[in-house]
Amino acid sequence: MKCNRVVATVLSAVMLISMAACGGNGGTASSAANASSGGEKTQATASSAASDTAKKLTIWAWDDTFNVKAANEAKAAYAKINPDVTVSVVSMAQNDIVAKLNTAFESGNMDGMPNIVLIEDYRIQNYLKSYPGVLSDLSDVTKADKFMDYKLKTMTEDGKIYGVPFDSGVACVFYRTDLLQKAGYKPADMENLTWDKFIEIGKAVKAKTGKAMLSVDPSDLGLIRMMMQSAGKWYVDADGKADIAGNPALKEALTIYKKMQTAGITITASGWDAGVAAVNEGKVATAVNGCWYASSIKKATDQSGKWAVASFPKMSNVSGAVNATNCGGASWYVIDKVPGRDTAKDFLSKTFASDTELLDNLCKDISLVSTYKDASSGKNVSLPDAFFSNQAIYKDWIGWTKNIPAVNYGTSTYDIENKMTEVVQSILKGASLDDTLKNAQTEVEGIVSAAG
Amino acid sequence: MDGNRTTAAGQSSKKLTHHTLEKKMNRWGWGFVALGIVLISIFVFFPMVGALVMSFQTGKGINMHFGGLANYRRLFHDQTVGKALGNTFIYLIIQVPIMLVLALIISVLLNDKSLKGRTFFRVAIFMPCITSLVSYSLIMKSIFSNDGLFNQMLVHLGLSPIMWTTDAFWAKVLIILSITWRWTGYNMIFYLSGMQNIEPSIYEAAEIDGANFMQKLNYMTIPLLKPIILFTTITSTIGTLQLFDEVQNITQGGPANGTITISQYIYNLCFKYTPNFGYASAVAFIVVVLIMLLSMVQMKLGGKENQ
Amino acid sequence: MKKKNIPLSILKYFFLIVLSFLSIFPFFWMIVSATNNAREVNVGKLTFGPHLAENLGNLFHSDLSFGISLGNSAMIAAVTTVLALLLSSVAGYGFEIFHSKARDRVFNILLLSMMMPFCALMIPLYRMFSMAGRAGLRGIGLNTMFSVIAPYICTAFLIFFFRQNTKSFPKDILEAARMDGLNEPGVFIHMYMPVMRPTYAAGAIITFMTSWNNYLWPLVALQEPQKRTVPLILSAMGSSYTPNYGMIMAGIVIATLPTGFLFFVMQKQFVAGIIGSVK
Repeated sequence: MKCNRVVATVLSAVMLISMAACGGNGGTASSAANASSGGEKTQATASSAASDTAKKLTIWAWDDTFNVKAANEAKAAYAKINPDVTVSVVSMAQNDIVAKLNTAFESGNMDGMPNIVLIEDYRIQNYLKSYPGVLSDLSDVTKADKFMDYKLKTMTEDGKIYGVPFDSGVACVFYRTDLLQKAGYKPADMENLTWDKFIEIGKAVKAKTGKAMLSVDPSDLGLIRMMMQSAGKWYVDADGKADIAGNPALKEALTIYKKMQTAGITITASGWDAGVAAVNEGKVATAVNGCWYASSIKKATDQSGKWAVASFPKMSNVSGAVNATNCGGASWYVIDKVPGRDTAKDFLSKTFASDTELLDNLCKDISLVSTYKDASSGKNVSLPDAFFSNQAIYKDWIGWTKNIPAVNYGTSTYDIENKMTEVVQSILKGASLDDTLKNAQTEVEGIVSAAG
Repeated sequence: MDGNRTTAAGQSSKKLTHHTLEKKMNRWGWGFVALGIVLISIFVFFPMVGALVMSFQTGKGINMHFGGLANYRRLFHDQTVGKALGNTFIYLIIQVPIMLVLALIISVLLNDKSLKGRTFFRVAIFMPCITSLVSYSLIMKSIFSNDGLFNQMLVHLGLSPIMWTTDAFWAKVLIILSITWRWTGYNMIFYLSGMQNIEPSIYEAAEIDGANFMQKLNYMTIPLLKPIILFTTITSTIGTLQLFDEVQNITQGGPANGTITISQYIYNLCFKYTPNFGYASAVAFIVVVLIMLLSMVQMKLGGKENQ
Repeated sequence: MKKKNIPLSILKYFFLIVLSFLSIFPFFWMIVSATNNAREVNVGKLTFGPHLAENLGNLFHSDLSFGISLGNSAMIAAVTTVLALLLSSVAGYGFEIFHSKARDRVFNILLLSMMMPFCALMIPLYRMFSMAGRAGLRGIGLNTMFSVIAPYICTAFLIFFFRQNTKSFPKDILEAARMDGLNEPGVFIHMYMPVMRPTYAAGAIITFMTSWNNYLWPLVALQEPQKRTVPLILSAMGSSYTPNYGMIMAGIVIATLPTGFLFFVMQKQFVAGIIGSVK
């Protein structure tokens, strides 16, 4: 049949659209670039040697009070060495970054992706194993002997190091000295606690001050993760197999979690914002989290001088448990096919991978505990922090970091944790711990095996 | 002879012309609809088949391989799927009826020409429909945040604030409230237009026979609106089964999967956790089956009572 | 004369007034909040404040690319609407004017596509575009305007909508046009399209609105922050660690303006668009 005019018009319209999509980034009146290199990236096709040394870098990170601030300070430091490189730091929610990384890696299309991206330690194994080749080999940037082992372990695959380690997520108990004092406890009493003692103190705090001891988030089981790692365990074992039903550390962690709620020493705070608000508004006496949480605690400037830091409590009923653990922590990675790879590698090697002065400044500015070994001798490290009752917190943190048990995070931490939130809800409602864990074991095996 | 030939030829040529015309029209017919059929096939039917095929595969990201029934077996044990289905059914059974009944009542009231301010009420109640789902979700989120406007009012009245996003029960209530706010006006418009097609004279006839308000409603309005009520029930059901924007933006599916929906779980399986497209496709197929089942059931029920 | 039931009347008006108030209140809240700063919104301030300029400033000058997203959304919605109207009206016209049993059967099958839930289509569509990109056809792969527009340029709903509205079309003028020597496409363009302008208007409103407000598919298909559409940006702002609701509300006000405008100015077609398929 003769192609009629209608069809012809439509076809040409479709062709026009695809050409438009090829050539531009679709925006009509694009405002003068917000420094993002998005527009140029779409034009770029195969990366040539010339584009590897492109002079524009984009960095993606989350948490304005911590990571993003660090990236901006690194940007300032690098500008002194290489003023002709433009660096753009973009702050995005972690979930957004993860979703976009997934899309890009899956489709192989790196348009719009940043050169440098912050990836949490829990997630990196997944990317390294599912999408080999998308992240650049940084073995010549990250000198193995300069960084702490437990961080390097997460980013090493086939003997190659793929990232630049950033912060230690060494966990601790942040506590309000004034509230603890009212309950009858001195700082010395908070050292080397066991969880049973912690709960006991919590009850006293509740009774004498009316405040809860800490807040819990039904959707974020950071507390459980920390407790598990303090005994050298995780949701999966060293080989990556599901370790749920027969995991003594997990069982004890869940038992403690339930005990805290039954003792009435917790309040529920859903979401990051609510948790920080609970702390800033003085609704809780402690926060048990990674050291990077300090920057959020410090937002309540009126509470300066009323806080101190103590080591992570020990699970006395589990053999191998210690007073040290990790929560979160991330590292910097370079996406290989984004133009500017060599510039990105240079940026990282001159900042986070070697600049002790930068890391020392970050120690003071955002309470960074760096995993760069030499940073521990920086001058700010031994400085007392006025907010935290003039305690030399960095020294304490670095000291505890040495005791963190290394674990294999596996590739499916967040999937598994999604299951575990439901396990926790069941247990809190009274279900049998062993039965619930047995069911969970089957499910987690499904998650892990499917991912393999 | 000539005459005969002409007659025969004339007749057969007429038939021929008619036949050719039909064929020509038929070809034009296909020509006009061809592109539409092709596009829908590419973007709906072809992907559906693809989803079915993928549901039998498993693996991380690009590394997919055949897995047989593994996904469906895992699905069977998957508590999150159970939760998502449970939540969806709660939304279906509670929110849809409330909304449709409300819309019906409002339309009946607004159909009364003697009511003052009809246009104002109609416009006001329809206004929620101009918001995008993301927009109104954020508006609701800010009104119902723990220290937000609504809780401030409660405290003002001497009541204790409700933990909307922290408590599984209240989180569901919030979602149901939000959806009802957004879509009642939409359904009201359907009922109103349907009622405007009903001859007012039959109501007058019924009144002469002594029918009161409730009788008119039950025995006349509702049966006459049956097709439209059925339509809105089916579309609301399909919409509820695909709920995503609201739960993603107000509660993120929480607390602890207390409000999660299947769409959201599928999204998480592909873009939040380690991507497993095979398993996600298997989960998606539950929705397909559910929609088909529910639509068939509703159509059977609706059709049965057709006069 | 019917006895006026006063209590019932009062109840009726009360009921409607309460519902109207509840329906409109969130809009009031949205506008008021756009003039306050984040802290004030968080504690439920109900009065206007002086922070509108500040909120707008933050909205457009941060690296959120809100301004760019308005352009993206507009372009996507415009292109989708034009293409969808064209393709669907042609198909709807074809099904109705060139009526045949075979085509009716095909039509019913197409209608089935309306029941396919998007969450099931999302994954294969995602992989389809992803594979196109991998195969080197970058222009039609993921993260392109094409990928966001393509799945929506022909929907069974619109075809159904046009077909329904064509049922009342006077088919004799088509015959007359054919006698005058116009070919079929000519008939369609010169006879059908002008008469069906109201239907096109209603269809344009539905399609534009759906595209402007579309969330899940652009969320999945677009990875570049510069390519994002308005709902995506609003959602990202809402899910940040500490959402700045003053700024977000200002963004929502702007995002709702197009549909609000369409609604108030073209109310009849708006409503006609929604109920068109139910006739």
